[in-house]
Amino acid sequence: MLFSPGWRAPVRQGEVLAVFTLGLLAGGTLSAAVVWLLSGLAAPLPPSGRAAAILGVAALGAARELGVLRVPLPQNARQIPPEVLQARLRRGSLQFGFELGTGVRTYVSASSPYVLALALLLSHQGLAATLATGTAFGAGRALSAVLTYLARDEHRGAALAVRMPAVKTTAALAILAALALLLP
Amino acid sequence: MQELTAGRVRRGLADPLPPAAALALLAVAAAALDASVLCWSSIGALAGFSLSGSV
Repeated sequence: MLFSPGWRAPVRQGEVLAVFTLGLLAGGTLSAAVVWLLSGLAAPLPPSGRAAAILGVAALGAARELGVLRVPLPQNARQIPPEVLQARLRRGSLQFGFELGTGVRTYVSASSPYVLALALLLSHQGLAATLATGTAFGAGRALSAVLTYLARDEHRGAALAVRMPAVKTTAALAILAALALLLP
Repeated sequence: MQELTAGRVRRGLADPLPPAAALALLAVAAAALDASVLCWSSIGALAGFSLSGSV
């Protein structure tokens, strides 16, 4: 883990975290911009049909996280190469954050990002709302790194592994509830 | 002993479940209040946070 204790590089770990966060925010915003451009294609479809499709996918996502359904995710099953961080730490962290922030460059192990992307694609929100959502996606990913940095816990990976199923389920259920309330 | 206690508190504060629960409440409350941008942003943050653990 990049922000675990035992840091020995010549660059301060907090500085790397800041640059990494900047990359995450930029990557999330860029992906949201692409989704917004594509969402125009869904605009001619009837709003009720789009809302039903979004809620159906959100329900599938929640069922998957609850363990009721087994749905393989169409993720890019590759890791970002470690060489990204080896040449120049600041620039590498920015690139690493950006690639993670886009959500398409490596593993995406939860249902919620797919539900989010499809909901934005089909609901055709305004540009500002879509970009804010993408930036918030990057911020959500950054929050995890910030907590890891602050915890200074050598066993953080094991602690996260225990907690993540509950986090993923909470996210999926909350997204389903919020979209059910929000969409027409 | 003091350091051990501080470490335990720090680890407790860094637990990923409370932020997820707070974001979940925010998303649902914003939807109920028809605060569209806040709701979508909260959903975005939740989706990003649900990928915790890789770095």
